[in-house]
Amino acid sequence: MILCGQDITGPVRESADVCIIGSGCGGGASAKVLAQAGKKVIVLEEGGHYTSKDFDSTEETAYQRLYQQWAGQATEDLSVTVLQGRCVGGSSTVNWTTSLRTPEFVLEAWRRDHGVRGLSAKELEPYFERVERYLNVHVEPEQNHSPNNRIILDGANKLGYHAVAVGRNTKDCIKAGACGLGCPYDAKMSVGVTYLPDALKAGATLFADSRANRIDAQGKTKRVMGAVLDRETRAPKTDFIIEAPVVIVSASAINSPILLLKSELANSSRQVGKNLTFHLTSAVLGIYNSVIYGAGGIPQSAMCDEFLNKNGDGGGFWVEAVPIYPTLASLALPGFGSFHREMMKQYPHIGASIVLVKEIDSSGRVKVNKYGRPVISYTLRDRELSYLKQGLVVAAEIHFAAGAKKVMTLHARPTEFQSTGEIEKKLADADWGANEIALYSAHPLGTCRMGGDPHRSVVDSHCQSHDVKGLFVIDGSVTPTSLGVNPQITILAIAEKSAEWLVESFAKVAG
Amino acid sequence: MYENQVGSRRKFLKQTVLGAAFLTVARIFPRDFLFAQSVEGIPSDLRYFSAQEYLILQALAERIIGPTAQGGSSVEEIDVAQRADQFLANADAEIQDQFHQLLTVFNAPFFTFLFDLRFSSFINMAPEDKDSYLEDWMTSNLALRRTGFQALKRLCLSMFYTDSRSWKEIGYEGMFLPEDR
Repeated sequence: MILCGQDITGPVRESADVCIIGSGCGGGASAKVLAQAGKKVIVLEEGGHYTSKDFDSTEETAYQRLYQQWAGQATEDLSVTVLQGRCVGGSSTVNWTTSLRTPEFVLEAWRRDHGVRGLSAKELEPYFERVERYLNVHVEPEQNHSPNNRIILDGANKLGYHAVAVGRNTKDCIKAGACGLGCPYDAKMSVGVTYLPDALKAGATLFADSRANRIDAQGKTKRVMGAVLDRETRAPKTDFIIEAPVVIVSASAINSPILLLKSELANSSRQVGKNLTFHLTSAVLGIYNSVIYGAGGIPQSAMCDEFLNKNGDGGGFWVEAVPIYPTLASLALPGFGSFHREMMKQYPHIGASIVLVKEIDSSGRVKVNKYGRPVISYTLRDRELSYLKQGLVVAAEIHFAAGAKKVMTLHARPTEFQSTGEIEKKLADADWGANEIALYSAHPLGTCRMGGDPHRSVVDSHCQSHDVKGLFVIDGSVTPTSLGVNPQITILAIAEKSAEWLVESFAKVAG
Repeated sequence: MYENQVGSRRKFLKQTVLGAAFLTVARIFPRDFLFAQSVEGIPSDLRYFSAQEYLILQALAERIIGPTAQGGSSVEEIDVAQRADQFLANADAEIQDQFHQLLTVFNAPFFTFLFDLRFSSFINMAPEDKDSYLEDWMTSNLALRRTGFQALKRLCLSMFYTDSRSWKEIGYEGMFLPEDR
């Protein structure tokens, strides 16, 4: 059963075996496993419940209904835009379907450096396989790559860089290109059309438009308190209290730590909200004589992974395609006024690729402000800045190899290249300060990290708080390091494994 | 954001004399400081902007979005300022506070003089001066001004390009939708 803000007229008082806060990959997968095991499950979701019938494939509707802060969430200084879903299904509703397993060298670093147990590549293999089968993860045939993805495959191959098709979680995809705006065909196997319906079928209840503000974990039974929001205005209209012996926080790497900090819970390590990684992203744009039309076709089906962990330091970057929706493009393009508008007129001829940097040294933090909302900060250190610059050089070379007549970065002061010979010199002269180049993150992770040492981590290898029995964090905030890949498969596999352990250990955990 | 360069916006502000003055004055100044524009043509149903702020945003949007080409939609036609008003009226309280302060600082002659030795409010500048003033904000050594520029740029562009009337000019055709829509 799903109850939305408009359905709820008075205070809600409910009890359950498990209360899950958040309905994205972590919350959705946990809800399915627990409900199918016979547990009474209540899922709380701050965002609204929208289905394919509501998705009109416009940015205006999608950003308002489906994204945190109208897709404008950013670091405190606005230097990094942080894209996240805020709706039933979470970010899986609006991601670009790329489905990749956690790299082995990352899992090995979790074991070696953070004392994580039970999450080796071998131990996760059955969970990866199960998730991929359930979500129909597959690689597209050659003829299905859009012109924007062909740039990466063709350009990288000409330069001798390794580039391949990526796995996608879709079924009967008609290549409309609207993945980032909510799939109007239900072809994307998002959490909202897979895990959550199965959880509901097994008896789970989902409250949409319901924002958890505090968890009280004083007694054996925990209490989750919050506000039911008006679906349109997002103003609080009534309150709820859910009582449960087990609470799972799955509100994302930005909002899970905020809830724990506001609740003054699970933070004896002083690590809650710290260790934020972004998979920091910028882009290059190529201008082509031919029509690329980057909003059409499959948004993301290819990548160049030549440079991830290439020198064995655990860092690096890779290059992926990015859909070019008009507003997203307008915000990314450099400059303003006549220059900007002339660039926008070349829209059908623009190809775009993103460079995603796997962090080693750089990290950020999430804190709570006086309004109870997240304040995000991030410090970019030398090694990642160097990888970002290298990544932009490689991506620009790929565009020229694919036939671009001109390539540009997203520097505020326009930085354009007419040939490969200009790239390194112009980038050396470019500005790299905050808001001097547009930066993004769609993969914030790590703010309630997992580990074996309670002094250095927030949760153990089963995602249970070191401090509070029966309190779990299951979402992207538990990863001890940056992944270097799109995170949905990692989060789903960890969620399924942790929820299974919880089912087996329920009496001990809840008792 | 960058190590050894900028801590956080508040930390930076609190630690500099200019920053302290900036915050104090932005709060003390009435939002319509030294404003002397006609209120003609301003919608009467504004929910967030004052009449003056509406005109500032409209003037700003015209420069940020750029001149209308043949067949293109104008800032006025799409009414970027009114769309921004509706958007900000539904925004979080902290964002509402920040935009009121930002528009005051951006436009007031006190600040245009303080930042760039200009003797006019933004709204009263000649078009080329407006562009050069915006360029100063975009490329300023003061991180806070670059942040302010980004906030204003994002607001104007997102209000313009989310409106389907702006798509024809750039050759965007919208997305395929199922036949029953």
